[in-house]
Amino acid sequence: MDIQLFIPCLIDSLFPETGEAVVEVLTHAGCKVHFQHGQTCCGQPAYNAGYWADARGMALHTLEVFAGSSDPIVIPSGSCTHMIRHGYPELFRDDPTVFPQARALAQRTFELSEFLLAHYSWTPMTGRDARRYAYHPSCHLLRGIGVTQEPLRLLETSGYENVVRLSPECCGFGGIFAVDHAVISNEMLQRRLDEIASAGVEAIVGCDVSCLMNIEGALRRGGSKIRCAHLAALLTGREAGLR
Amino acid sequence: MRSEFLHRAQHAIQDEDLQRALDQNAERRGLGRDRAFASLPDMHGLRASAHAIRIDVIERLPEMLARFTQKLERNGWHVHHAATALEACEHILRIASDHQAERVVKSKSMVTEEIALNRALEEAGIEALETDLGEYIVQLRNEPPGHIITPAIHLLREEVAETFVEHLGIDFTTDVSALNQAARRTLRQAFLGADIGISGVNFGVADTGMICVVTNEGNGRMVTALPEVHIAVMGIERLVPSLTDLAVMLQLLPRAATGQVLTSYASWIRSPRRRNDLDGPAIRHLILVDNGRNALRHSRLQEALLCIRCGACLNACPVYREIGGHAYESVYPGPIGSVVSPGMLGLERYGHLARASTLCGACREVCPVDIDLPTLLLRTRDVYIQQVKQPMLFRFGMRAFHWISRSPARYLLALKTASLLTKLSPAADGWIKMLPGPLRAWTEYRDFPPFQRRPFRERFRRPVHRRDAKAPEPAAGPVPSTPLSMAAPRTGLMDRFGGSLAGVDGQFRTCREADLGVEIIQLLKDWAMGPMLIDPMVSARYPRMVDVLRAADIEILNPFVYLGADRSKALAGLDGAPVGVTLGLGALADSGTVIVGQDHENAAVSSLLPGMHIALVPSDKFYDSLANWIQACGEEVLAKYQSLTLITGPSRTADIEMTLTIGVHGPERLAVIAVKE
Repeated sequence: MDIQLFIPCLIDSLFPETGEAVVEVLTHAGCKVHFQHGQTCCGQPAYNAGYWADARGMALHTLEVFAGSSDPIVIPSGSCTHMIRHGYPELFRDDPTVFPQARALAQRTFELSEFLLAHYSWTPMTGRDARRYAYHPSCHLLRGIGVTQEPLRLLETSGYENVVRLSPECCGFGGIFAVDHAVISNEMLQRRLDEIASAGVEAIVGCDVSCLMNIEGALRRGGSKIRCAHLAALLTGREAGLR
Repeated sequence: MRSEFLHRAQHAIQDEDLQRALDQNAERRGLGRDRAFASLPDMHGLRASAHAIRIDVIERLPEMLARFTQKLERNGWHVHHAATALEACEHILRIASDHQAERVVKSKSMVTEEIALNRALEEAGIEALETDLGEYIVQLRNEPPGHIITPAIHLLREEVAETFVEHLGIDFTTDVSALNQAARRTLRQAFLGADIGISGVNFGVADTGMICVVTNEGNGRMVTALPEVHIAVMGIERLVPSLTDLAVMLQLLPRAATGQVLTSYASWIRSPRRRNDLDGPAIRHLILVDNGRNALRHSRLQEALLCIRCGACLNACPVYREIGGHAYESVYPGPIGSVVSPGMLGLERYGHLARASTLCGACREVCPVDIDLPTLLLRTRDVYIQQVKQPMLFRFGMRAFHWISRSPARYLLALKTASLLTKLSPAADGWIKMLPGPLRAWTEYRDFPPFQRRPFRERFRRPVHRRDAKAPEPAAGPVPSTPLSMAAPRTGLMDRFGGSLAGVDGQFRTCREADLGVEIIQLLKDWAMGPMLIDPMVSARYPRMVDVLRAADIEILNPFVYLGADRSKALAGLDGAPVGVTLGLGALADSGTVIVGQDHENAAVSSLLPGMHIALVPSDKFYDSLANWIQACGEEVLAKYQSLTLITGPSRTADIEMTLTIGVHGPERLAVIAVKE
């Protein structure tokens, strides 16, 4: 199947290797991966900050970039998927011209793990990493687009049977919130770190690099050896550690 | 203001006692809520119905309010409309002055907090006493409530004890039950002597012209039943169309709020005291408060009006959990408060609150009426940014980000520049220890990953498609979700009722009519002996029982409260009775609820003043659920009564450190006897 890959700005700029892993995973599953070089950011930072005029501009840009095909759009992020699926229709709800386009784009946009399990039967790519992993269910993935089991099922099929499922608590990232309300954000983050420490794991896996870089950033600051990895990186056998 | 908010938040985070209390609140309320929701056979369906009911109400609000007002007036209420907080207070002060009222008792009501009623009453020289235990404590301490359901959430028992030593003159004790008893004694006198009772309203029922007030401690019943004048204060949006809709809401509100299947009391109040009624206020007023609600209804935040004020979103919110209620500086804190405070009470003052959220969606997940709170928070941010000027740096930064993102060439250039700048930052393991400008807040607590010289867009090469690639396989279909709940097994109605009642600390017996007197004497073995308050309806229906009790030297009192000359004296006379016996109109198996009425043969006081309440329910009056009972009786049943009360267990509170105490203002023991006639 032909798919359009949308790479979140954070993966593009900070963790390009994760992006490469995503391409490998999709190709392994049987996808023909297309990447539009015109794509930039989905606009979520502006949308979440309340700058909707700017967010609309960025959304229009994304709509334009993907207007050339009707392939499914696959994003290795629950958060960006949530943005396109729910944020775009919200941004254009009073615009009769753009709204149908936004809704159409929303309907063909999928998060990586939900897309894989909906269309392919997954076979492992490599042997499993011997480390003990915990899964961080990111909020927009879990509650935003309702993906609860898929990442764990992909991991299980790949030999990761005893992944600890962390509680569905926010890690305190929240985009600009992490800077704008840094003290509160840090309290939430410390709570997440406490749970990770008591889970007795060596690495964290998740589907949103935004949360993962928040968590790994704090783990590193605290001198911990625990590292984070995006689901795709783990499936391709890359070592944990976003960088 | 934002700076004050951040200051208060910081303060809350450093307060270890508060942190413990907030943790406990989040954990216990979360657990209780999940358990209570799991006891519903179709939680998602019920929630969807509740959402639809509330949407319908808000859409047709003017029409529904008109109907509600008309029905209430036909039922004998005086209805007043208040456009603002000030107008609402003026209505109430005028009523108080018409009755030369000096003492007012209040049950918990967020809308009266919103209109700052206590201050208005105080300035008019009227003593207004809060009677919900938590609200009473914060009133004595001159503090605002910290939570819309649990006002004293922020206080330790030691602090409550010190407050009571100072104001009630008791000896210092940290025994929660003793503290509760001290408040009970003081407030009981206030209930008996008050001129006016002021309550809030949980729901108004438009079709029947009735209000519903839910409480656990029994203070809501005292306030709405004992004083000669009752004033109910209600936000205009708190309507449901019919009794059937009310039954839906009553399944959700207590579960979401406190994890209870039903609160101890849900009072359905239809009219003031009618000519032959045994008790109840002679005059009932309803104040319908707008105070920004219509404006909210005509805005993009309209959906916030669906809220039934259960507080579940506060309990689930990770931000509330860190900072508590006072930081928000609004009557309505937490996620819903961060929408309605700016939407209703002032965008400039409260707009910044909408940004104090990670949009994690925990609030929406637990909302019993499925309000899309994250979207409402986002819309609030949009409105706020449009109408309230933001710091230059923020505005300029966003504009620049937008300008860069509209062009792939600029975007790539920006990535390259960022990676160059990264090189300048000191970083031992590759991660940045300190970012410049406002981003520095990030690196206060965490390292930041370096921008890469070669972004993904430069690395992507079209992969060689595997030739053996499988054709797309049929979709696996949605992942089956684990069922949230199991319906209760269908055993006999009475057995199930007994089980439910035991779960709320009540006793259940069955006996033949002939043995009723003996059964009651048995029940009283470990209880104080003394006069017994028996409703005329009970004496008329079960005369042999009365004979047996009289023969055992038990004095029988008849609750003819208003037929005597002096009402407070009459009330004081009844107040000493340790036991009250009433007839139950119906018993509900799913919740362990018994329904009692108030009319010319049934008094409110009999199930309210005594420490022990015995309800006799004919064995053919057991029903599966509230909805079944309403269906069986029809809505006409209401018209026969001044009020109906759904009683689910003895009165209770968990207002001090969430420690459950049975027996507050209402009875501390409840026994239900199924009578085989």
